[in-house]
Amino acid sequence: MRAFAYSRADSVDHAAHRITHDAAFVAGGTTLLDLIKLDVLKPKNVVDINALPLKRVERLDDGRLRIGALVTNTDLAHHPEVKRHYPLLSQALLAGASTQLRNMATTAGNVMQRTRCPYYRDAAAACNRREPGSGCDARGGLNRLNAVLGGSDACVAVHPSDMCVAMAAIGATLTLSSADGEREVAFGDFHRLPGDTPHIEHDLADGELITAITLEPPLAPAGSYYLKLRDRASYEFALASAAAQLSLDGEMIGEARVALGGVGTKPWRCPDAEAALVGQPAQIATFERAAEIALRDATPLEHNAFKIPLARQSIVRALREATRLARDEGKQEGQV
Amino acid sequence: MMDDSAHSPRPSDETVRLDFTLNGEPRTIEVAPNAVLLDVLREQLGLGGTKKGCDHGQCGACTVHVDGLAMNSCLRLAIMCQGQQVTTIEGLAKDGQLHPVQQSFLECDAYQCGYCTPGQMMSATALLADDRIGADDASVKEAMSGNICRCGAYKNILEAIQQARVQLGHDATTPRKEDVA
Amino acid sequence: MNDLTRPRVIGQRTPRIDGEFKLTGRAGYTGELHAEGMLYGYPVPATIAHGKLEALELDEAQAMPGVVDIFHHGNFDTLHRSPNSMGHGDQVSEVRLPFEDETIHYHGQYVALVVAKTFEQARAAAYRVVARYRQASGAVPSLLGRDDEGLPIESEGSSRGDPEAAFSGAPVKIDRTYHIAAESHLQMEMHATLAEWHDGGRRLVVHESTQGVVYQRNAMARIFDLAQEDLEVISHYIGSGFGNKLFMWPHAVATAVAARRLQRPVKVVLPRQQDMMSGGNRPASRQHIRLGAGRDGRLTSVIHDSITETSLVDRYIDSCGSATPSFYACDNLAVSQRILPVNHGTPCPMRAPGEVSGIFALETAMDELAVELKMDPVELRLRNYAESDPESGLPWSSKQLDKCLQSAAERFGWDKRNPEVGSMRDGDEIIGYGMASCTWFAGRQPCQARVELRADGSLFVGCGTQDIGTGTYTIVAQTAAELTGMPLADIEVKLGESGLPSGPLSGGSMATASTLPAVAAAVRDALDALKEVATGNGGAFEGLSADDLEVGQGGLSHGEHRVSFAEVLKTNKLASVNGQGSTAPGAEQNAYSFRSFGAHFVEVRFDPGISRVRVARVVSSMDIGRAINPPAARNQVEGGIIMGIGMGLFEQLEYDPRDARLINSNVADYILPTHADAPEIDVELLDYPDFEFNEFGARGVGEIGLTGVAPAISNALYHATGKRHRDLPITIEALLASS
Ligand SMILES: Cc1cc2nc3c(=O)[nH]c(=O)nc-3n(C[C@H](O)[C@H](O)[C@H](O)COP(=O)(O)OP(=O)(O)OC[C@H]3O[C@@H](n4cnc5c(N)ncnc54)[C@H](O)[C@@H]3O)c2cc1C
Ligand code: FES
Ligand code: FES
Repeated sequence: MRAFAYSRADSVDHAAHRITHDAAFVAGGTTLLDLIKLDVLKPKNVVDINALPLKRVERLDDGRLRIGALVTNTDLAHHPEVKRHYPLLSQALLAGASTQLRNMATTAGNVMQRTRCPYYRDAAAACNRREPGSGCDARGGLNRLNAVLGGSDACVAVHPSDMCVAMAAIGATLTLSSADGEREVAFGDFHRLPGDTPHIEHDLADGELITAITLEPPLAPAGSYYLKLRDRASYEFALASAAAQLSLDGEMIGEARVALGGVGTKPWRCPDAEAALVGQPAQIATFERAAEIALRDATPLEHNAFKIPLARQSIVRALREATRLARDEGKQEGQV
Repeated sequence: MMDDSAHSPRPSDETVRLDFTLNGEPRTIEVAPNAVLLDVLREQLGLGGTKKGCDHGQCGACTVHVDGLAMNSCLRLAIMCQGQQVTTIEGLAKDGQLHPVQQSFLECDAYQCGYCTPGQMMSATALLADDRIGADDASVKEAMSGNICRCGAYKNILEAIQQARVQLGHDATTPRKEDVA
Repeated sequence: MNDLTRPRVIGQRTPRIDGEFKLTGRAGYTGELHAEGMLYGYPVPATIAHGKLEALELDEAQAMPGVVDIFHHGNFDTLHRSPNSMGHGDQVSEVRLPFEDETIHYHGQYVALVVAKTFEQARAAAYRVVARYRQASGAVPSLLGRDDEGLPIESEGSSRGDPEAAFSGAPVKIDRTYHIAAESHLQMEMHATLAEWHDGGRRLVVHESTQGVVYQRNAMARIFDLAQEDLEVISHYIGSGFGNKLFMWPHAVATAVAARRLQRPVKVVLPRQQDMMSGGNRPASRQHIRLGAGRDGRLTSVIHDSITETSLVDRYIDSCGSATPSFYACDNLAVSQRILPVNHGTPCPMRAPGEVSGIFALETAMDELAVELKMDPVELRLRNYAESDPESGLPWSSKQLDKCLQSAAERFGWDKRNPEVGSMRDGDEIIGYGMASCTWFAGRQPCQARVELRADGSLFVGCGTQDIGTGTYTIVAQTAAELTGMPLADIEVKLGESGLPSGPLSGGSMATASTLPAVAAAVRDALDALKEVATGNGGAFEGLSADDLEVGQGGLSHGEHRVSFAEVLKTNKLASVNGQGSTAPGAEQNAYSFRSFGAHFVEVRFDPGISRVRVARVVSSMDIGRAINPPAARNQVEGGIIMGIGMGLFEQLEYDPRDARLINSNVADYILPTHADAPEIDVELLDYPDFEFNEFGARGVGEIGLTGVAPAISNALYHATGKRHRDLPITIEALLASS
């Protein structure tokens, strides 16, 4: 682990001023320190932002939920507003990492976490994301963990977050702050596809930090389900995951949201699959058609073709479970 | 070549001051800015009870409590603990009396080599004090999954946790910390 | 009191005597030890697997704060290799010395060792060492995916009858190939060394996390050309080993050289990545099994041909077929073994080495045969039951496999199994039931021990073996307590020092059976000495003969007259009496065959809609002779079951096929079972003491629990899905193909 200087920011402005291309914020530290130890990230200055007042979760007047950048994954998962109105997000958070890591990890840090591609994490391997122009060892290598959606010749690295998959499905806005003030970016626009510039991972400029993420108002009455498929039962990143959310109109699907994790180079919202669900009967055949559509453009690499059928399975099952929950929800509403 | 001669000062020669509470005692120490809590505990403070199994947040052997929450000390800069309460396995027993979790680990033979064990017990004590985590076996297993035991003593660890839960009675489920505002 | 057929302490549930140290953080494992003036070493691993180190650029690293020195091929001491002999007790894991030359044989081979004042400084500087390589073509990344013949290893073969003819004439045939990926021991505590020289570089003390202090002492004595008395290897607490800490690795030599040159203690703890690259692995295997049988299920031919990996620097043989000749009654049998050098760090024994792989192949093949015959798999095993050892022709000392099969089947509810594939369902899940037998040989090594009975009322036992988590400290204390009637609290046990009387490796499930007889002999020797004192001049029982005295409750007695050991000593103004014990396997080895046996029954739940399999339940019965400390013994089997789930479903070291680089050398990408993967486990230890083996009746229990788990899982999966899995681990990819 290389040496660096450390400082603490006591205001958002202060933090924004400190951040230059060779500096990094530390929030929970669970991505940053991991990657500094691997010699993948090499900041000369580390700016601790934990003293900033960004730890609140608040319901806005327009029904949206504003989450401070420093709210931990644990606290967010168990927050009463989240548990009641966004169980999808709660489930996704609790499916991620471990108890200890969730106690440390923050909302903004989670959005900013880096890929788990083994070649990105191996400083001696060729990786365009880590070192622009060096090549991609994953394409022709052991690419079981890599993406089947959104990859380019330059990079096929998966965005590994669970939380982000739920947020992609729910819909959200990021608030970015800099010395020049604040700006808002739609969640879906924040993470970049790798294209020819995989090292530009997101829409965050030097001198900017994430201060909040605001969720769209919840769908209601709706059912939602986050399903994470992996080798072992816990403490492993997704090989494929699906966040599904839908409202019912009798036996027909009203609104629907579907996003995928573990398979895309960014948290992967599936608008075409959603369109194929709306107005259709809530049954397996419909879900299967949506799953087909969601993976229509998937391109397998040598070792990850299994992710395509696996992702389809995750969608079908998550939709089935979301439907079951929506029906329960509907029944309860009817009773009131 | 022996090196005690002075190098020109460089970042890692400098240290920063850390004031924190360790196992109930206020401490002030100097640490390198890039020093990780786990290494400071083990190498600088002589508290070897907290173990290193991976150094990357992947095993849980380094679990300590920071302000009452279980955390991986291998992924936390020591200096980030400024003003915080850190508790390690050395701080679990009080007045020479094993903590009920330690006692139940002893009775249930909830370990073999003992290397993952401090981390298991730090997670277990935090879990038993956290009413957001279910008390059933499946919830406990899920919540404990950040602590790998290669010796595979999982069955006995679960039994020990549930036995300690009974012993701790009501104390165990007092909420640990107010929810976020 | 001395009647070990009816013991009081042995066989009783005994909380570990080292438990309190482990549970309070006071047990000092090697990596957390400190010495005055200690420096930190951090190795620099090769980033290629095959080629040459062309240049090392050290200037930048050398100039980093705190850096004291950097060791490498250009400046390393000239040393001798260890003779590497098992017989002489100086076996090492990798015979090549560190930095011996500039050829790179595997990814992670050390190219330099940076030594600095703090850990952070050593690591920071190690990252700044620039190594330039010339990569060679033709790296061999793995045995898997190739059809090389490899080198034959005649010593591992076995044959009887005419297996080829019997096979070709058999009415029912199974002819299958099985593959198992390379695995990592992933013991929780990484390899670690703290080396300290004394007396101006004439005496070396090494703290090492090792399963064999005596072996390492002997090997280092040869490498550094020291007398054994001038070298001490210490290992009081070990964060387990599973075989990769049996024999020394090069980091220990590099650390000792650095300490000698710098005249300061040096500590090296391998980072996990390096531990996995260069600290041992279970080699991948390819096994070809042919079974011939009659329609009645009786085996007429067993042919088991295996090939396993070794490295380019050593010849490690993972003998897959070694249990096969003794497993089933069959007159025609052939077992062969080959090895293939690949560009990996040298493989080494890993829990149940060889046999666990062989049993996967054999017990899966037996299930295939049962399916072919439409016979219950338990029945098939009973039909081929070996009443005596078909390999040696000798009777078994004690074999209760039939009882294991019966008991485990009953507790599991095997009779509720509908043999039809996929016939048992529960909601989204298909339930599969599978079983396999398991076995591990019972071995014993020579052992010595020393005992001191002290006037302060305590008893000291010392033996140069180790406790790697199996509970050796506790069973040694139990033994002393059993034979003296003293409370455990008064017994002090010291293990893990090469200066103690030579003890066995903590491996091969041999430590218990080897150590306890020597401890018992030493206790008796001390008691004899005490009786001599007591009956001699001025003694507490002056005038009586030693034979008149009874031993019990920490004292000697004659009729109503009872005097504690301490009083006996005090009466004669003695501080202590000593006893020595030295034992070795004897004539019984020619009269019997010794093996433990057992059976695992497994329930898997497969959800085809999401291609997910979970092991839900494991019920096992083990015939291991007597368990000295039953909870600790059961813990070993339960841990073996967990490791077997890893072997069956998750674990594989992944080497890049292009250049043999290991890409998953970390605890996240190398997948281990977690708490959430632990099934409901019910382990029964049958209690049939094996007194032919030793007076304690114990055969040891470290390995057997792992054997047989993976085939029981794959057999259960077949029952659930109808797809036969012959390659381990059984991944989601393989499962998808069966949904
Ligand atoms: C072993 C392991 C397993 C894991 N498993 C999972 C899993 O299953 N699912 C999952 O989703 N995640 C998983 N994670 C990832 C984990 O969720 C992330 O590491 C965590 O969310 C990052 O948050 P942090 O606060 O610790 O970030 P930090 O490490 O503090 O920061 C991460 C990055 O974000 C930047 N950053 C932090 N805050 C801000 C801000 N406010 N504005 C701008 N930039 C900022 C930092 O500079 C840094 O580049 C795992 C991690 C580990 C180590
Ligand atoms: S050492 Fe911290 S999680 Fe493994
Ligand atoms: S007791 Fe050895 S790793 Fe858990």
